[in-house]
Amino acid sequence: MDPVQERAVEKLLEKVEKPARYTGGEMNTEVRAWDEAEMHFAFCFADTYEIGMSYLGMKILVSLMNSLPYMSCERVFMPWVDFRAGLKEKNIPLFSLESRKALSEFDVIGFSLQYEMSYTNILDMLDLGHVPVRAADRGEKDPLVIAGGPCACNPEPLAPFFDAFVIGDGEEMMVEFLDVLRACKKEGLDRYETLMRLSRVEGVYVPRFYEPKYNEDGTLRAFERVDERAPETVRKRILKDFSNAFYPDTFPVPYTDIVFDRIVLEIMRGCTRGCRFCQAGMIYRPVRERSMERVIELAEKLEAATGYEEMSLSSLSSGDYSCLKELITALMDRFQDKRVSVSLPSMRVDNLVKQSLEELSRVRKSGLTVAAEAGTQRLRDVINKGVTEEDVLRSVTDAFDSGYSTVKLYFMTGLPTETDEDLRGIGDLARKVVNAYYTVPKERRAKGLRVTCSASVFVPKPFTPFQWAAQDDLETVMEKQSHLREYLKMKGVTFNWHDPSLSLLEACISRGDRRMGEVIYTAWKDGCILDGWSEHFKYDVWIKAFEKCGLSPAFYANRERSYDELLPWAFIDMGVTQRYLQLENERAKKGQTTKDCRKGCNGCGLQRYEGLCNV
Amino acid sequence: MKMWLTMEKGARIRFTGHLDLMRTMQRALRRSGLPVRYSQGFNPHMLLNAAAPLSLGMPGLRELIEVPVGEEITAAEFQERLNAALPPDLRCRAVRALPDEHPAPMAMLRAAQYLMELDEDDPNTESCMAALPQMLAAEELQAIRKTKTGEKPCDVRPMIYDAQALGPRTICATLSLCEAGTLKPDLFLTVLAGLAGAEKPEAFITRLQMYAMKDGALTRLEEA
Repeated sequence: MDPVQERAVEKLLEKVEKPARYTGGEMNTEVRAWDEAEMHFAFCFADTYEIGMSYLGMKILVSLMNSLPYMSCERVFMPWVDFRAGLKEKNIPLFSLESRKALSEFDVIGFSLQYEMSYTNILDMLDLGHVPVRAADRGEKDPLVIAGGPCACNPEPLAPFFDAFVIGDGEEMMVEFLDVLRACKKEGLDRYETLMRLSRVEGVYVPRFYEPKYNEDGTLRAFERVDERAPETVRKRILKDFSNAFYPDTFPVPYTDIVFDRIVLEIMRGCTRGCRFCQAGMIYRPVRERSMERVIELAEKLEAATGYEEMSLSSLSSGDYSCLKELITALMDRFQDKRVSVSLPSMRVDNLVKQSLEELSRVRKSGLTVAAEAGTQRLRDVINKGVTEEDVLRSVTDAFDSGYSTVKLYFMTGLPTETDEDLRGIGDLARKVVNAYYTVPKERRAKGLRVTCSASVFVPKPFTPFQWAAQDDLETVMEKQSHLREYLKMKGVTFNWHDPSLSLLEACISRGDRRMGEVIYTAWKDGCILDGWSEHFKYDVWIKAFEKCGLSPAFYANRERSYDELLPWAFIDMGVTQRYLQLENERAKKGQTTKDCRKGCNGCGLQRYEGLCNV
Repeated sequence: MKMWLTMEKGARIRFTGHLDLMRTMQRALRRSGLPVRYSQGFNPHMLLNAAAPLSLGMPGLRELIEVPVGEEITAAEFQERLNAALPPDLRCRAVRALPDEHPAPMAMLRAAQYLMELDEDDPNTESCMAALPQMLAAEELQAIRKTKTGEKPCDVRPMIYDAQALGPRTICATLSLCEAGTLKPDLFLTVLAGLAGAEKPEAFITRLQMYAMKDGALTRLEEA
């Protein structure tokens, strides 16, 4: 950035909200000087600093890339509207926090795909960074634009904008990707041949080598390779040795408040429970634990490097970690004198909650969150959420008994086969939770009962048994929500619901095909950014974008798909087979549950690959 | 025992607010493992005591923060270990060990010196610079000061200890900063602009130094 631009940025910072979002310089974020690195990677997060900095994957990968001797990896976040307007007005390109380099100056720009409604931000960030938004418009000198993360398991809606996607665990794949890219640069390969070479790295998908063909009814007819050298199936990358895999031993410590401002220790990846709505539970298989010794080693290093007073043990279901109690005890013993608290963000209520809570409350109390997901046992069986009413009531009673008075209950509406009885069941369960509070003797329970019931709208996701399911249309969702409001009218209970129009778009994009990219592009061109922020979400502009592109939201969201239909993500092997997902969907229709696969293999498909699944 | 830390808050982190800066200091002190004293009670916290918060957007070259310590430790060791744990844009420039009875820095603070670099593109800069002698010659300068209790008209001239031009668009001013009456550099520029018949110019302001009053004269706070 030249001095004139530097001055303009400093002046702009004086005028915007939360300027510290854009200034960097936080503890543990120093990188190699620009000229001392051979290749530069811009790690982009398509939402604000506070959200992006809370995301563990970014900490892992930024740290990993900076550990490579020839690399430098810097961070870029979506600017808020005020800063964005200032950049545009002064024609200053969107720049990295560390070296203040424009996006266009990097060799690779990598986005983490966490949420469908941040996709317009991606296009906006590229445009702000003076990088052509469409992959087809980028030339030999332009950066490679890639993406990974959970939403990359259906990359097609973003295919027009990316040169490559990295699908699966990033720790080994990114190193290999960069090594190959570096070799290509040394050999002087052009963009096309470089991408061809990269497409042979396991987990990498290069959209330009494939072309979708459609039937007259709009469904996918074929997904053809345009260059036979590209792999026919893209197989997701799976990290085998999770315990010894790269994990940062320092974390950046932001100056300003971020959403999760603490040490995060990922103790386990994957989940064996098999909830049928849960994409993470399917795509992160197989389940892999980090050894207790390694977790403790990392905890000590991270505490020393950050000075944080809180660490959370993260995974999809921390209660399933095989030596959780020993781990918590060991961590508490080590850190109690230093006043470090340990939290477990994703506990299922069917684990030994009470014991863990008692261990944890040695330092600090917080609220309890229970994801019951559905209001009746029948529907919980349909979705294979192996949680019973008894589990829920026992765990909240235990919590009330140990001094908690705040409980959050999470539900979904619109799950396959849902009826009014299931909605009434949500109300009944909330009432029983309230009653559970009053069963605890007055002198033992904390004052001020607060039960928050949140009901999100079910969004069918790729690579889940419900990937064929129809989402309720808007009218149905709103009707259900108004019924729920009635059922939850009781003292001590607050009801939160989601904007159903946002969930409709999530459903369209998450199961969209390549044509959805044009809808995203049009919506962005017509002014949609920061869609995940309710004050900026413009539903009508999105609907017009569908019309302009000749597509219908109902086609993507509200239509049940047949097993014969070619799904836009079918060319990806996510480990779990389509046959298994089908079997699970059929079981769901019959209300049959599937056991936790640690009690015996259910044949999901991971065991096709030798040595990958050790459950 | 307590330590008086003379801290430099660099330009890059000038937008870190006071509470965020205190939290940053706490985390750095935790990382350093230095024997800092905590408050008693249910939620023990570090007893950091800053002389005066910096305005958002303003770097400070010699800011004073007091930290009570529980064990004997030399000032030199304290400074070295703290610096090793601080982020690059926050530096500890000096440490002074003092007995607990020594007054708190906030109680001793009387004034601060500011460097005001007026914007070269701002049309008001030139006339404001030209009005500086007139300002110093004035016996009385009426201004509206915003205080905790509301807006009050008052004479701010006694709150200006010194002000001089250091170049064509740079002013170095020592202004009152204490319970009895504070003149913020921003208001100083507003008053100056009023004399010049101009608008308040945009300026990059740095707090250079804080002062106590000793034997009727301003003394560097960290040495008082």
